[in-house]
Amino acid sequence: MKLTRRNVAGLAVMAGLAIASSSFSSRLAAADDTIKIGAPFNVTGAQSSVDSPALNGAKLKAKEINDAGGVLGKKIELVIYDTKTDPTVIASTASQLINQDKVPVALGFTDSDAVLALGTIFQTANVPFVTPGATSPKLPEQVGSQMFLACFGDNVQAAAGAEYVLNKLGGKRVYLLRDNTTEYTTLLARYFKEAYEHGGGKIVLADDYKHGDTSFTAQITKLKAFPTKPDVLYVAAQPDDIGVVVKQMRQAGLMQPIVGGDGYDTPLLLSVGGKAANNVYFSTHAFMAEDSTPGIVKFYQAYKAAYNTPPENAFAALGYDTVGLVADAITRAGTTDSAKIRDALAATQGYKGITGSISYSQGSRVPDKTVSIIGVKDDKLFLAAEVTPTWIAKP
Amino acid sequence: MSRKQRFLIVVVGLALPALFSIWAPALMNDYLVRVVTVMCINALLVISMGLANGFTGVFSLGHVGFVAVGAYVSGVLSLSDANKASYLPDLPVWIAAIHLGFLPSTIVAGLVCVVLAFLVGAPLMRLSGHFVSVATLGFLIIVNVVLVNSDAYTRGARTFTGVPLQTTLPWAMAWLLLAVVTLARIIYSPKGRAWRAVREDTIAAQALGIDVLPTRLSAFVIGSFFAGVGGSLYGHYLGSFSPASFYFAYTFSLISMLVIGGMRSLTGAVVGVIVVSLLSELLRNLERGFDFGIVSVPPLYGGSQIVLGVIFILIMIFRPSGVMGDLELSLGRIAALLHRGRKETNT
Repeated sequence: MKLTRRNVAGLAVMAGLAIASSSFSSRLAAADDTIKIGAPFNVTGAQSSVDSPALNGAKLKAKEINDAGGVLGKKIELVIYDTKTDPTVIASTASQLINQDKVPVALGFTDSDAVLALGTIFQTANVPFVTPGATSPKLPEQVGSQMFLACFGDNVQAAAGAEYVLNKLGGKRVYLLRDNTTEYTTLLARYFKEAYEHGGGKIVLADDYKHGDTSFTAQITKLKAFPTKPDVLYVAAQPDDIGVVVKQMRQAGLMQPIVGGDGYDTPLLLSVGGKAANNVYFSTHAFMAEDSTPGIVKFYQAYKAAYNTPPENAFAALGYDTVGLVADAITRAGTTDSAKIRDALAATQGYKGITGSISYSQGSRVPDKTVSIIGVKDDKLFLAAEVTPTWIAKP
Repeated sequence: MSRKQRFLIVVVGLALPALFSIWAPALMNDYLVRVVTVMCINALLVISMGLANGFTGVFSLGHVGFVAVGAYVSGVLSLSDANKASYLPDLPVWIAAIHLGFLPSTIVAGLVCVVLAFLVGAPLMRLSGHFVSVATLGFLIIVNVVLVNSDAYTRGARTFTGVPLQTTLPWAMAWLLLAVVTLARIIYSPKGRAWRAVREDTIAAQALGIDVLPTRLSAFVIGSFFAGVGGSLYGHYLGSFSPASFYFAYTFSLISMLVIGGMRSLTGAVVGVIVVSLLSELLRNLERGFDFGIVSVPPLYGGSQIVLGVIFILIMIFRPSGVMGDLELSLGRIAALLHRGRKETNT
């Protein structure tokens, strides 16, 4: 082979790949004296505004545990991957965690679609998986015995939202708008409707939009032309849409309270929505502020010190709690055997997290937790209520 | 090369990947097997896309629409009875009664796409240039809207889950080899020459007696069959998917593989898939940060997409017709290369 310019370029690329792959394998060989916990998160892509805080929270807890001496005398190591909100990458990463990194347990994601793409692979390998923020209560049943939620289910937060609308906002007539293209928003809307109608409210008009839509004119026009004026607007939205929805509704003169689920718990609500976000209420896992519960306040300060920014939303706290929950299960299992960790997880009773206490009762793998209702006033978030719903729709 | 030699080489060329796919699970861990499986599925989709887009000059953006149809059709057909009852309770009885295995449901998915492609293609293949791209993009959007709204068949926007995980590497490889052999036979036959003639100059092609519409339509329909098959493989690989999985993001990732590799060559399509898949896997692992001893790089999530984008730009600047251009890795070329190599060592 003659050394033409093209060949030199080719050789350079090959050499680069060789170096890269060798460094990659040396990485794998290192660190056998740690307990590995898989941590796939959608750090980039549509889910990044909720997954990144969750990951940061998880890293913070892992560091605290390690500073306090670790688990079973070993340090814990989060094996982190960015899965890019892409189901193919999520599936590959799942098998990478199990077969290459050989993690005995993993945690991650704040969205049901992502968890479903990974779930079957973990279930088949009998490796337990805990999701900090995917709130579909159907997940444990859809995936199987290895799937745990560290957060409440959507049926619980929808019921809390419905009771808040009925009792505190005095809303007897609701306009229901949902993003009909994702699992989370369709389920949330359905659970809300069931709980709200059970409580005696009436859905006067329901409408749909698609994830990523940038104009809501059609829905708004239809609502404004509708003869009955609703008291409250319930909008089941994904984090990346909610700012735009709120802004356009306010611009069209719809000043009623807008209520929704934990998809609103993103900095995008205030940064995109701006003044329009006033009079918005949403159900979520915890209230992130300097005047919240002592646990949250301590977390708030530690997070701010570590990342130079206050916790973006409650998913940061959920990520933090999930690492604590898993570490607690490993401690009680006394081993890093996946089956024992699973059993210890399932037997969790009253783990004191900062987002509330976590217990898995009667074989359920969705914990019972209280729901925080957060409101927006004067461009600031405030804790409007803590709700334990009295009637919850079936998953 | 004699006929016999040629035949032998083809048989060996097919047997090697086939054997590799069967032995792979013993040689590599499951993660790498999965990466190769995805590469096979994507290669199948990209070469079938190249049929219309590259060889016939009908730049369709609707290919992923057929992939979606394939995934859903085969998914509904192969879902177990228990899963059908719990996930799709409103399915019409006559469909709920059908339960097919992986292979038959994949073939049915391909055939449904053929019928659909015929219906869609008959009007659309009359268009040329940018118009056909926009019209086929419209088809992709229609498929997405229909999938999201036909709740009884697809669970609407909610994740379609419970599809048996049956796409193994041998299955994906077998379909890929079948597609490569079939398409290679057609592309380098008089039919394929007609496709390329239509691509280069419709008026000149018509002057030669080539009927443009049926010629384009045939490429579109054949490509759609393999798109449906690929959709079924993809669905049975992931096990759960939603209409959003088969939309713009996937369309553009397939198109970038096709364009990088070279639209006008089968080999190019496969090379494009290999290059893009390997690079993105490698970069995805590198962006987690690494330690060389001398230099250590902190994690930089999202960095892989940036590097990948820059590489694409560079390839397009320096090789606008893709890595392979319109060259094929054919038996004749290999023989010529060997011959030249021998001559060079002699001198």
